[in-house]
Amino acid sequence: MRTLGISGIGLFCFFSLLLVSSPAVPIEHEVHKKFLVPPPPFSEGIFPCSQCHQGMPVNRTPRKLEMMHQDIVLNHMPGGWCFDCHNPDNRDTLRLANGKIVTFEESYNLCGQCHGTILREWKAGLHGKRTGMWNGEKQYLLCVHCHWPHDPVFKAITPMPPPVRPSDIK
Amino acid sequence: MIQTIRNFFIALRQIAVGDKKYYLWVSLLSFLVLLGASAYISQLNRGLIVTAMRDQVSWGLYISNFTFLVGVAAAAVLLVVPAYLYNFKPIKEIVLFGELLAISAITMCILFIMADMGQPLRVWHILPIIGAMNFPASLLAWDVVVLNGYLAINTAIAFYVLYRLSIGKEYKMSVIGPLIILSIPWAVSIHTVTAFLYNGLSSRPFWNASILAPRFLASAFCSGPAIMLILFQIIRKLSEVEIDNKAIFKIAELIAYAMGINLFLLGAEIFKEFYSGSIHSAPIEYLYFGLHGHNKLVPWMWFATTMNITAFFLFMFPKTRENFTTLNMACLFVVTGVYIEKGMGLIIPGFIPDTLGEIYEYTPTMQEILVTIGIWASGALLYTFLLKLAIPVYTGKLRFFSKAQIVVARDIMSRRMALVHPETPVTDLIRQMIEKHLSGAAVVDENNRLVGAVSDTDAISLEIGETAGKTTADVMKPPSAAVLQDVRIQDLGKILAASGTNLLFVVDGDGQPLGTVAGSDVLNALENIRQE
Amino acid sequence: MEQDESRQRGMHRRDFLRGAALGLAGLALPLDRADASFWEAFFQKHFREMNDEEIKQVISRLEKEYAQKFKKQIEIGADKPIPGVLYGYGLDLSRCIGCRRCVYGCVAENNQSIDPQIHWITVLRFRKGEKWVDLENSEKYYSPEKVPEEEYFYMPVQCQQCENPPCVRACPTQATWKEPDGIVVIDYNWCIGCRYCMAACPYGARRFNWGAPNRPEEKINPKTHYLGNRPRYRGVVEKCTFCIQRTRKDPGRYPACVEACPVGARKFGNLLDPNSEIRYAIEHKRVFRLKEDLNTSPKFYYFFAYGR
Repeated sequence: MRTLGISGIGLFCFFSLLLVSSPAVPIEHEVHKKFLVPPPPFSEGIFPCSQCHQGMPVNRTPRKLEMMHQDIVLNHMPGGWCFDCHNPDNRDTLRLANGKIVTFEESYNLCGQCHGTILREWKAGLHGKRTGMWNGEKQYLLCVHCHWPHDPVFKAITPMPPPVRPSDIK
Repeated sequence: MIQTIRNFFIALRQIAVGDKKYYLWVSLLSFLVLLGASAYISQLNRGLIVTAMRDQVSWGLYISNFTFLVGVAAAAVLLVVPAYLYNFKPIKEIVLFGELLAISAITMCILFIMADMGQPLRVWHILPIIGAMNFPASLLAWDVVVLNGYLAINTAIAFYVLYRLSIGKEYKMSVIGPLIILSIPWAVSIHTVTAFLYNGLSSRPFWNASILAPRFLASAFCSGPAIMLILFQIIRKLSEVEIDNKAIFKIAELIAYAMGINLFLLGAEIFKEFYSGSIHSAPIEYLYFGLHGHNKLVPWMWFATTMNITAFFLFMFPKTRENFTTLNMACLFVVTGVYIEKGMGLIIPGFIPDTLGEIYEYTPTMQEILVTIGIWASGALLYTFLLKLAIPVYTGKLRFFSKAQIVVARDIMSRRMALVHPETPVTDLIRQMIEKHLSGAAVVDENNRLVGAVSDTDAISLEIGETAGKTTADVMKPPSAAVLQDVRIQDLGKILAASGTNLLFVVDGDGQPLGTVAGSDVLNALENIRQE
Repeated sequence: MEQDESRQRGMHRRDFLRGAALGLAGLALPLDRADASFWEAFFQKHFREMNDEEIKQVISRLEKEYAQKFKKQIEIGADKPIPGVLYGYGLDLSRCIGCRRCVYGCVAENNQSIDPQIHWITVLRFRKGEKWVDLENSEKYYSPEKVPEEEYFYMPVQCQQCENPPCVRACPTQATWKEPDGIVVIDYNWCIGCRYCMAACPYGARRFNWGAPNRPEEKINPKTHYLGNRPRYRGVVEKCTFCIQRTRKDPGRYPACVEACPVGARKFGNLLDPNSEIRYAIEHKRVFRLKEDLNTSPKFYYFFAYGR
């Protein structure tokens, strides 16, 4: 009777351990998962960047751009600069703070350096828009599809017309 | 059986017979029915878009009228209860007209529902077995059951009574007794179910109040009988049907109680809504004070409230309720008040503000109004025809006898007569005879036994001479012209010829008068028998 | 087995009674209607009482009718619920900008009438800091130059696909019901147009065809479902079905409103799948449902993904 009790407790402890040690399946841990995205929203004819930057000397001094890209006014991180994100050694890629190189298709990793919780929710499908199959292949939009990276606040748009009032339905 | 059907059609022919006023009335109603029908046809062709109803206010004038009329139909029970349960004779005699009104009102209810349907041809989908009636979940399915059941019960009672009367027999309580007993809870049920139809919707806070069913019943028991009181006065004015003032005043008294309860319940609702002041009081605020500048119903509601309260006081005091001018005013007020309060005043605030807070103020279109008028006119036409059928049977003008039957005085007598006592002043006697369009009065003693008779010639001689201070005893003659109730019709003819009078009093074994037989009654009956 | 037989016999008797009664009713109707399809349509059975063969026949008749009317081939599906799926919807109020792209995306997909106008989605605008529960303070007809506006927030409302739907209880003819996958559907050929469901719906989600629905032929979406976006009739009720014609496929596309939303505020998925977006929202965000006090248990969840 007594032994049974003890072994019972033992069994219980064993299962509890199992429960504790078995991890939940957090989606955000799947770092290597590739997300199906449409092509990044480059300006017309601008990519690959290397077609101009190839062989151009790299000027690492923060400054006002006067020859090209004058349209870009950086309104994102105060005191930020092109090479915080763009890879000076290969302009067709981006570079994370830890030195890791990522493509434009994976730019979300770059954004996620600061916006970690949002990246997590983006991966889970909560932040941002998804299209495709609800129970099959889904297409994600990149962060930059909605947030222009140099000035990322969502821009107001024109709403579609209001419904017809009931008194005007004839 | 074939005979009965044939007789029914003979009776039906009554509908085509009438005086100028009758034809005028029927043509007016028919014109209105046609007007409504043409408006309805355009609604059928173009859809309910011809109405002012929209998604925000998805029910309107049709359902408002439906709700009011269910109340009118249910109110027939107010007559049935005292008549049969307490055997209150004056009311018992007129209950038939209440039941016919219930039949007409329910028919109008059904027409209003049909008019409100987007796909009227699919109406059979609502039936059990051949359709897919959602019973018991849907209150609308319940309503279909109880309304049609009520129509069936009332039709059965009314036509059975008429049938028995038409062959000169009393109706058997053993046959319709159970139906009458059933009709009482059933009448309560039609209005309760209709109240639950709205009451059960948690989406509409204005309707979602448990006081709704009691309020419905109370207001029905004011407006329905008030309509009947008006109709009774018209009936007795236009026909030979006699309706005792006692019955009318009794009903008026019952209306006073119902009106009191109705006002109390309304007050309770108003207190709860305004004192608690939750967001759910928006509809009632809209109703009585307007909401965000929208106040189309406000003047109507205050008008209705004024009508109802005034009517209540007029009904409450015996002095005003037993005076026909004030009584009729009160009836008119209460019908108007309840029609507004329980029609548009109930349905529209269920939708204002709508479930998403939008306010769309609904005003019925011409088409809706025309269809509504058309349905009311068809109801009135139906009631007119029913009366036209029922009154001659009721007064004994229309009787069917089979050859084999031994027809006796009781079968053909008219139960309408003036009863006076020897000490009745002559002035009263004459007034009674004039009021009841009678050519004679029976004089009875304290045991209700026939002791004498007054004919119209006696009365005329009095009218010419001095009436002051005289009593009936001064002018009455011995009751030479009295026959027992089971005297055969052939003998009646002989007695009439021999007695030289045109009016025989029919008495029972104790000598109590039961009715009168005139020469024309005998002729009528003999003709009927010959035709068989 | 025995029970089956007796039930079948019951069905036969039922069919016979139906036939007899309708035959009588039919006598009262105009007999000069030459087209047999009028009578076929008139006698059409309730969708749930038809077997697959009968459904097929009805659909082919309807497809013929539609082809004649709209001069293009319209395909009517009748996909059955996918086992193990209970659809759920999420709407992130912290993202919605009130642009009404969803409203018109829905109209394009679901063949609503253009004139008279029918929208299945209503977007409400609330002033920040005002009583929210008091819906009468909301504005449905707002029309600014640009959205979002600084001082407002927006809340789209459509059919909430209640687990305990008051509309289904109300319908006197069982013309609307909840499918096993949670979608509340309507048989447009069975609805009698009494609009009791509209009175019963606490979310203003149901729409009535007050007039004949009108839609230019070229704008008709030919991919339809019998219980969803196939062309409707005058005098019947319609509403959102979570795009049943799309979502009841394996794999099935997202509802049109999800695809139309430019800010990704709309989430859709299987409530029974722990890895679905909708489950993620329910488990990680504080969600609420509209008018929860009415106990309708909508499968439409509102939430605020972040606090701005």
